[in-house]
Amino acid sequence: MARTIKVALAGNANVGKSVIFNYLTGLHQHIGNWPGKTVEKAEGTLHFRGYTIDIIDLPGIYSLSTYSIEEQITRDYIVQEKPDVVINVIDASVLERNLYFTLQLLELDRPVVIALNQIDQAARKGIQIDSKKLEEILGVPVIPTIATKGAGIFRLVEKAVEIVERGSAKKKDYIKLGREIEDRVEKLAKMIEEANSQYPPRYAAIKLLEGDEAIEREINRVSPELVKVAKRFAKEIEEETTKPCADLIISQRYEMACKIAREVERFTPPPRPKLIDRIDELTTHRVWGYPVMIFTLLSMFYVIFTAGGYLSELLSSFFYNAEPLILGLFGAGTVGELVWSAFEGAVAGLTIVIPYILPLYIILYLLEDSGYISRVAFLMDSIMHKIGLHGKAFIPLLLGYGCNVPACIGCRILETHRERIMAVFVVTLVPCAARTVIILSLVGKYLGMQWALALYLLNLLVILGLGRLAFKALPGEPTALIMEMHDYRAPHLKTVLKQTWFRILEFIKFAFPLIILGSVAIKSIEVFGLLEPISVMLSPITVGWLGLPIVTGITLIFGLLRKELTVILLSALFGTSNFLEVPGFGPVGMVVFTVVAMFYFPCISTFATLVKEIGLKRTLLISISEVLFAILLGGVVYRILETILV
Amino acid sequence: MDNSETGKRRVPLAALREGESGTVVSILPSHGRGRGCGFVRRVMEMGLTPGARVTVVSSAPFHGPVEVLVRGSRLALGRGIAERIIVEVDEHNG
Repeated sequence: MARTIKVALAGNANVGKSVIFNYLTGLHQHIGNWPGKTVEKAEGTLHFRGYTIDIIDLPGIYSLSTYSIEEQITRDYIVQEKPDVVINVIDASVLERNLYFTLQLLELDRPVVIALNQIDQAARKGIQIDSKKLEEILGVPVIPTIATKGAGIFRLVEKAVEIVERGSAKKKDYIKLGREIEDRVEKLAKMIEEANSQYPPRYAAIKLLEGDEAIEREINRVSPELVKVAKRFAKEIEEETTKPCADLIISQRYEMACKIAREVERFTPPPRPKLIDRIDELTTHRVWGYPVMIFTLLSMFYVIFTAGGYLSELLSSFFYNAEPLILGLFGAGTVGELVWSAFEGAVAGLTIVIPYILPLYIILYLLEDSGYISRVAFLMDSIMHKIGLHGKAFIPLLLGYGCNVPACIGCRILETHRERIMAVFVVTLVPCAARTVIILSLVGKYLGMQWALALYLLNLLVILGLGRLAFKALPGEPTALIMEMHDYRAPHLKTVLKQTWFRILEFIKFAFPLIILGSVAIKSIEVFGLLEPISVMLSPITVGWLGLPIVTGITLIFGLLRKELTVILLSALFGTSNFLEVPGFGPVGMVVFTVVAMFYFPCISTFATLVKEIGLKRTLLISISEVLFAILLGGVVYRILETILV
Repeated sequence: MDNSETGKRRVPLAALREGESGTVVSILPSHGRGRGCGFVRRVMEMGLTPGARVTVVSSAPFHGPVEVLVRGSRLALGRGIAERIIVEVDEHNG
């Protein structure tokens, strides 16, 4: 019988965790989200020496407090799921900061193996690390690795298995904090041990002194007395040292990390000044950084949308050939129409979504892996701050002008749950290519480009306004940028491709059923002759409030599916492509219609993506409020234009 | 700027020029809403604890973030954060 071993990968962001994860799990992995969270969960399996090793890649974090959801997820996972081994991946070139995390991880009392990764990068910076000495000091195995070349990974797994086979060795000594804290930590830890909490005693003791709310709640359930004692201790420490207890613990832990790093690091002057430093300087330069950024992002945009457009064309001409086949098979009646609409939904998904998110994922991972995204965030931070987002959100926002679907997915690059939700919301307001079609072919064509531009401006103002509003309304810490700018490095292509592949699979599994369902639902409305009644039902809004012809209601319903089709449909329903001839439409109607179409609903593909990224409840909230907002704004615009122009 | 007992200049990190370095003295809590101490801790947990040596690498225009080198790692700090980190400026910076 094969035994199963649970292994968790933990560590800072950008240390090569996902490279190791992909190296170990190969094609046996599953990407999802942590239940109810916007945080990605990557799991995989490896068969090694008769063992089935389940590997989970925990989010990249810098500490084990509860500052972010990622930190909480990691902490809860390690404490509750009790992995047999935690592999702590650390970046050898930034040892001190990585050790700060390691020291906290060791307090969680799980067996730990350290992967001292990127030793090649460290060497390039002139840093040599004595891994044997580090092993002695920390009391856990340290394996030097170069994940991108696969070096040391075998030994890493070997070591992890060895630890499980050997069973937990003698209780290791913790690295001690300063006297005034250490004594109290030990006292508290003993009490916690007796109280039988699920948390490791020493860890819980320190967290209680730090005033960690989650742990306080947890301990309060087993023994309220303990929390009171901890509060008293913390107060005593504060009186003795005149510093907040939590700050003191952080400082001391960093001092320890610093001391350990100094003992094991040896510096030699770096071999030669590198091209990489030049690039680094150029890309964050206060003047030259911007042209470089604009060029890079425009090329990215260009590649995604031309590659996507080409692929999309190819796929749709292939699939639409199947229409006569399906109609022939199921008959041209109701059944045939409905089956075709389901098929069409899938085709829409395949031809609109996949061709764009495929290149998007690849480019996004390349940018992120190489380190360029953090440079863009650095340059754009002050501008993005105006809508309450930080610099990284600039990239998804820009992508939104092409298509909202990849843009919403792109919001994953943001660090916190709150930022992701904010960014996703703003992104859905950005006029994508399909909405651009509406703007240009209606307003641009009949009223002139200045009107089209005015609409873009209006859109920008709305983004600014609603962005700020959401920023104020969402609870949580105001977004302030604290971001690591790791050194530029060549992205690991194999990892990038694997990451892309599994995320696309995940997307298809999740979003396609929704897209197909939506497509069938709208087709049913048509097939069962409900279009008329529904547009009559909508007429108080479309005719009464917005001053539009009654048939526009139908086009807006179809627009839920694909917005670029609304104009074509409009001309079919009006029976003319010269909209100026249509009675009751005219210039004002066009502007109002376009404004509504611009904001009223993220299309069905975006909707499905949103559900996947942020959950159904938040998606509905965003969609409904956008529909209401679009109607409100449309009516206001109608009234303003009527008074100005008449 | 006020002088400490050591006679060294104390300024917000945001006031350092590119290439200048100093030692973190304190972090002022954010006066905005939310958990004020959460902010201080987050800054400290990235390595900017009192006593840490910090060098400004570059700063973005339009009142943008500051890039600093601290404990061997490079961090981008929003201007608002850099304004609340008080440092003692090294003398030889001139």
